[in-house]
Amino acid sequence: MSTDSAMAAVDEYLARLRKAFDYLPSADRDEMVEEVRSHVLERIEAEPCLTEQLVNGILRAVGDPEELASQDRTEATLRRALKTKSPWVLLRSTLTWATTGIAGVIALFVTLTGYGCAAVCYLSVFLKPFFPSRIGLWLRPEHTLTLGYWDGRFSGTQVYGISVRPPALFVLGTLSPTEGPVRELLGRWLLPVGLLCGALFAVGTTLLTRWLIRRFGPRKRSKSPRLELTAGAVR
Amino acid sequence: MTLGKIADDRADHWGAQFRKGCLEMAILASLWKSRLYGLEILRRLERSSSLGLAEGTLYVILNRLKADGLVHSEWVDAGFGHPRKYYWLTTSGKDRLRTMARFWVQFSGDLDALLEPVLSGRELASVHR
Repeated sequence: MSTDSAMAAVDEYLARLRKAFDYLPSADRDEMVEEVRSHVLERIEAEPCLTEQLVNGILRAVGDPEELASQDRTEATLRRALKTKSPWVLLRSTLTWATTGIAGVIALFVTLTGYGCAAVCYLSVFLKPFFPSRIGLWLRPEHTLTLGYWDGRFSGTQVYGISVRPPALFVLGTLSPTEGPVRELLGRWLLPVGLLCGALFAVGTTLLTRWLIRRFGPRKRSKSPRLELTAGAVR
Repeated sequence: MTLGKIADDRADHWGAQFRKGCLEMAILASLWKSRLYGLEILRRLERSSSLGLAEGTLYVILNRLKADGLVHSEWVDAGFGHPRKYYWLTTSGKDRLRTMARFWVQFSGDLDALLEPVLSGRELASVHR
């Protein structure tokens, strides 16, 4: 086997590695790929005779890139999430976590709901100047409060957004159509109130999601052994 | 598939999971005395343990240990061959390893006592060899 074709095989392997570890920050990924490259080349150079079989054997010993990444993806993604305030990164992280178990599914649901509420608040603030009579905080029959968009009908009324009905109803989206009057409560005050609520939802969701990751994430379970094990505890 | 085969597969799976769980400790332990680069760590692990890991796994774990602040690393270009990335333990890496080692010694000692009647003297001797 020529040196060129050996290098082509190595480069192809490293390209797969780079692709498989796309969840890492680019600087970390580049460094790891470079390190594996150095490892593989040192292995190759230690061999007196270069054959295709030998190069393939060396690459096989390093491991299948997709398999290597799958062992690490969830943990690395959540580790990154713990250091970020970006809703996008937190959503992607909880989405990855959700593929591994029920704790992740719950975290994803909480994160989606929280950021969804923040998005409704900000969207309401943004759209209020364009649709002043349709966007607002609406009081509906049965003491239901909804922040969002009213469809303008007086019969079969629907309002889309965040709905709260004491004591225990909370809906992000829309409730079934209602009859009877709707009344807007905030007017122009919607702008500061919406901005404030949006910020509270966004910050609260970020903190809550990071707490869920720290408390229930996979790293939490596997990171450190329980040290309170006393002598003879397993007997 | 026989029940015996299923039991063997499960034992293999358990063994693989167990080795995986010990890898982090073994890698930290290999760095206890000196700075090493990836291939040196692998050689040390191959020489003194039966962990049998895919070589690439080492770099995934080292990357994680670095993110956790347990190891430092630095590229060194000796002027011949390829630049190598050397790793060494941080203070918190040493603390973590001491904690792990204490736990391991106590845990394995307790289990040894529990498992002693399970294996005959000859089997025990061959395992330790």
